Amino acid sequence: MGKGMEHRAGSVMVVGGGIAGVQAALDLTELGYYVYLVEKAAVVGGVMAQLDKTFPTNDCSL
Amino acid sequence: MLTNTDLLALDGKPGDFTVKVRQRPRYIDADACTACGLCTQYCPKHHLDPYNEGLSLTRPIHIDYAQAVPATYYIDPSSCLYLQHETCQICVPVCQSHAINFEQQPEELELNVGAVILSPGFGKISEETLKKFSYGKHPDIVTSVEFERMTTASGPFLGEVKCFSDGRHPGRIAFIQCVGSRDLGCDNGYCSSVCCMYAIKEAMVAREHDPEVEITIFYMDIRTQGKEFDKARQRAESIGIRFVRAKVGDITPWRNQLQLTYSTFAGTHEFEPFDMVVLSVGLESPRDASGISDITGIELNKYNFAKSDTFNPLTTNREGVVVAGAFQGPKDIPESVTQASAAAGLAAGLLKKQRGQGIVHKDYPQEKSDTDEPRIGVFVCHCGINISSVVDVHKVENSVENMEGVVYHTDSLYSCSQDAVETLKKTIIEHNLNRVVIAACSPRTHEPLFQETLKDAGLNPCLVEMVNIRDQCSWVHAGEPEAATDKSQDLVRMAVAKARKLKPLPEQTVPVTERALIIGGGIAGMIVALSLADQGYESVLLEKGKTLGGNLGLLNHTLSSNETATHLKKLVVRVKKNKKIDVLTQAEIVHSSGFIGNFSSVVAAGTGKTKKEHTVDHGVIVLATGGHAHRPDGYLLEESSRVITQQELEKRLAGRAKNRAPDSVIMIQCAGSRGDDLKYCSKICCNHAVKNALQIKKINPDSQVIVLYRDMRTYGYAEDSYREARLKGVVFIPYDLEQKPQVYEKGRRLHVQFFDSLMQEEMDMTPDLVALSVGIVPDGTEDLSKLLKAPLTDDKFFLEAHVKLRPVELPVDGVYVCGLAHGPKPLDETIAQAQAAAAKAAIPLVKGSVSVDPIVSSVDEETCIGCSLCVNLCPFGAIEMIKVGKRRKARTISASCKACGICASHCPTFAISMGGFTNEQITSQIEAFGRATEKETAEV
Amino acid sequence: MSDEFNPRVLGFLCNWCCYAAADAAGVSRFQYPPNLRTIRVMCTGRVDPAFVVRGFIEGADGIFTGG
Repeated sequence: MGKGMEHRAGSVMVVGGGIAGVQAALDLTELGYYVYLVEKAAVVGGVMAQLDKTFPTNDCSL
Repeated sequence: MLTNTDLLALDGKPGDFTVKVRQRPRYIDADACTACGLCTQYCPKHHLDPYNEGLSLTRPIHIDYAQAVPATYYIDPSSCLYLQHETCQICVPVCQSHAINFEQQPEELELNVGAVILSPGFGKISEETLKKFSYGKHPDIVTSVEFERMTTASGPFLGEVKCFSDGRHPGRIAFIQCVGSRDLGCDNGYCSSVCCMYAIKEAMVAREHDPEVEITIFYMDIRTQGKEFDKARQRAESIGIRFVRAKVGDITPWRNQLQLTYSTFAGTHEFEPFDMVVLSVGLESPRDASGISDITGIELNKYNFAKSDTFNPLTTNREGVVVAGAFQGPKDIPESVTQASAAAGLAAGLLKKQRGQGIVHKDYPQEKSDTDEPRIGVFVCHCGINISSVVDVHKVENSVENMEGVVYHTDSLYSCSQDAVETLKKTIIEHNLNRVVIAACSPRTHEPLFQETLKDAGLNPCLVEMVNIRDQCSWVHAGEPEAATDKSQDLVRMAVAKARKLKPLPEQTVPVTERALIIGGGIAGMIVALSLADQGYESVLLEKGKTLGGNLGLLNHTLSSNETATHLKKLVVRVKKNKKIDVLTQAEIVHSSGFIGNFSSVVAAGTGKTKKEHTVDHGVIVLATGGHAHRPDGYLLEESSRVITQQELEKRLAGRAKNRAPDSVIMIQCAGSRGDDLKYCSKICCNHAVKNALQIKKINPDSQVIVLYRDMRTYGYAEDSYREARLKGVVFIPYDLEQKPQVYEKGRRLHVQFFDSLMQEEMDMTPDLVALSVGIVPDGTEDLSKLLKAPLTDDKFFLEAHVKLRPVELPVDGVYVCGLAHGPKPLDETIAQAQAAAAKAAIPLVKGSVSVDPIVSSVDEETCIGCSLCVNLCPFGAIEMIKVGKRRKARTISASCKACGICASHCPTFAISMGGFTNEQITSQIEAFGRATEKETAEV
Repeated sequence: MSDEFNPRVLGFLCNWCCYAAADAAGVSRFQYPPNLRTIRVMCTGRVDPAFVVRGFIEGADGIFTGG
């Protein structure tokens, strides 16, 4: 991606790439919008990626 | 996707925002990095691994975890020797792909976007608060997040729970709840809502690891108000996890243990030693909340979370900026996911006119015709060390050498990584492969990825066969490498045999009827209809009653004291005026058939002579059927005029009667819930009781209000109202399930008998009024469940497709759920969920067509004898009889077919075949299975 | 060791339940004997009795269907 102004019609910015941000971005793409997902860390996934298992299925969260 | 990126500025207006962001350098070229990990091995400097909560060491140059997205390493400048001291640079020559670049500079970008969704998550409880619990004074006092990393199999200790002090396995673990929550001492007056549930989960996981470990959870109230959460608590109790309602005063190191001092509700002080103490830390507002607020101009509430109101839970004071997730208020994963979808829907509604303009359409090369002999390529994956540490990958790979049809074989470190997929594509083209076998993980998770790759390489996506040598081999036979290698070879041989017989299958698409059918005209249904209309879609809204509004019509105000009546009125007007919404009252669905994108339902509307049946064609169904107040037996609810429900009390308090707030009121929580008639917690009753208690105090400050409860579940910000009620003199007394309050009449007086656990004595009081918190029962879910083949939970609520990740979708495609039909929940959660259901329901409508998985049955008309056995057997009504010439023949309705194969296995003339699972293919697999037996017998 | 009975079992696993459960077993690292060779089907409804017979003919000591 180059410097300067990016212009795309029908785009949405999602700030924060945790489970909420990722889900919102995925849904928006499916709804027909271009998404910029902005995350301050080097990876997306947020806290959920740190979790071992989740209730009730205790399946792997990744 | 922009990682390592900070938001700098936001200007403009909805539909036309200019956002400035700064991307910090990774110092590694993302396109060149192959995630091989060599750089981390060579890097000489240690770095506390934040992903493992600092419990382990990594290097400044690293990747957080193997599955990280993007799968590119990065350098943390805070500890890199070169970036701090301009020495070292050892990683630069080590990297085979020359990806390391210390010249990278921060880049500022300006982006033009139509809407912004803020989902920055939550922050950590401060060290200061943790210090109050002796955190840092002793190594065996850990936070719940650290504990989570400890129990994780892929964590720093491979799932072994050990005391940091001396490495022993803890025999006794204590969990302390409400660390940094419900605590004005650290300005977090709210309840974090998630800690009780995760503590129970962690306790149960710890027990799985070590069945001997004794676990005690010290709590004020166990707030497992979520759907099905109480069951987990019961399960925890049944396996011997101890729950103690007490306030922990002090944690003191004592010999090699930790001595806990706690005071119970009965007023006694106890001392007890533990080996490890886990602090159940709450969720705080994000560290940079005020920064976000400054940049975006959105207001925060007093706890520094985004400010929102009950009726518009996700919108902020700045139009075009919406919030989702924990930044909106502490919440768990399903709530966050729900809000995320809802926020996506709101943004979509805002930008309706620009839909589809920004997205890039992917073009696939023309599919090659399938006439050649099979040319099979076999790719065996190491999956890092997940497979190769057990299975001899090279042996497996080489075993295919002389197999019929195999022209190429290779191995790969991570077959699913971006570069490996690119290599796969190139290899297919280069070696002119027309069948691909991938021995790696589960097709359930990765087949779509490889099918996509085949499409990219100009092959039909059905020409790939996956072999699961990870989940079903290396992971489960970790101790038997030889047998696992043997098994992998067999499985690969069977897959190759099937691959020889694979046939390309055409993808089918079916157009979608761009209309929704919404069942239920309460708040949830109305919000769904309006959100869909905002996005440009029509809907038919069915209401079984005479008017719209549902339970909202019975409410007077909410805890955050909005006027519900005016909101409801406005909402009803908006629904009625909206041209895209067709409202049918006194309406019920009588029949429904079809599949996602193409449903057809018969609806009966009106009564008596005006009753009419309509046929509605629609692409999706949203269930918003709501619920009603339960009426339990045993509390004289029907017998005495002085026993009423909270809903009735609210109505009474809103009236003008002089004695509407009498001098003495006893409220009984969980009347009929959590074990009696209803097994579950209804989530809203505690808030409702507190709301009514406050209202009584407002009208009649001298009134004595006693609330008998089991756990006060005023989660989130409602905790503030709970505190306010206590300050205003409302008395809260917990009761045990064994000593439930008794309501009886003697003479003309109404008595309530209960055990006062605070005073430790039996009480008998004669209040003027008893208000019961009665719980919520879903409406009509059983009939709809049968009609739509949508499963229910034991408690008769609709069961979602995935509790965490697909909370508003049902397992039946094209059917969505929201509101009380999904589970008891308060108004704001219902609204967010309805917005989410609308967003999800809009997805197939936006796409305009649904593609049908080609793995469906097909009937060979030549061989079919028209016996119609298959039609009778098909559980999905996906086969019909048609006339071909003079004969009757069966035909599959592809879009309804679920590919179960019952028809194929029963067809007496083998006329039915399943795409991707033909008789020929399965038989060849069985034969290939057999060949190993021959080999073995020969060897013996 | 060679005289120890080491059965070869052929399994038909339903994609939605048993195959998924087998994946879940892997995710949880449950250990079980490595004697099973599996064939994934979309539903055990697909399993024609002929497949079972064929499995025995091909030398299976046992057939497992899970769905």
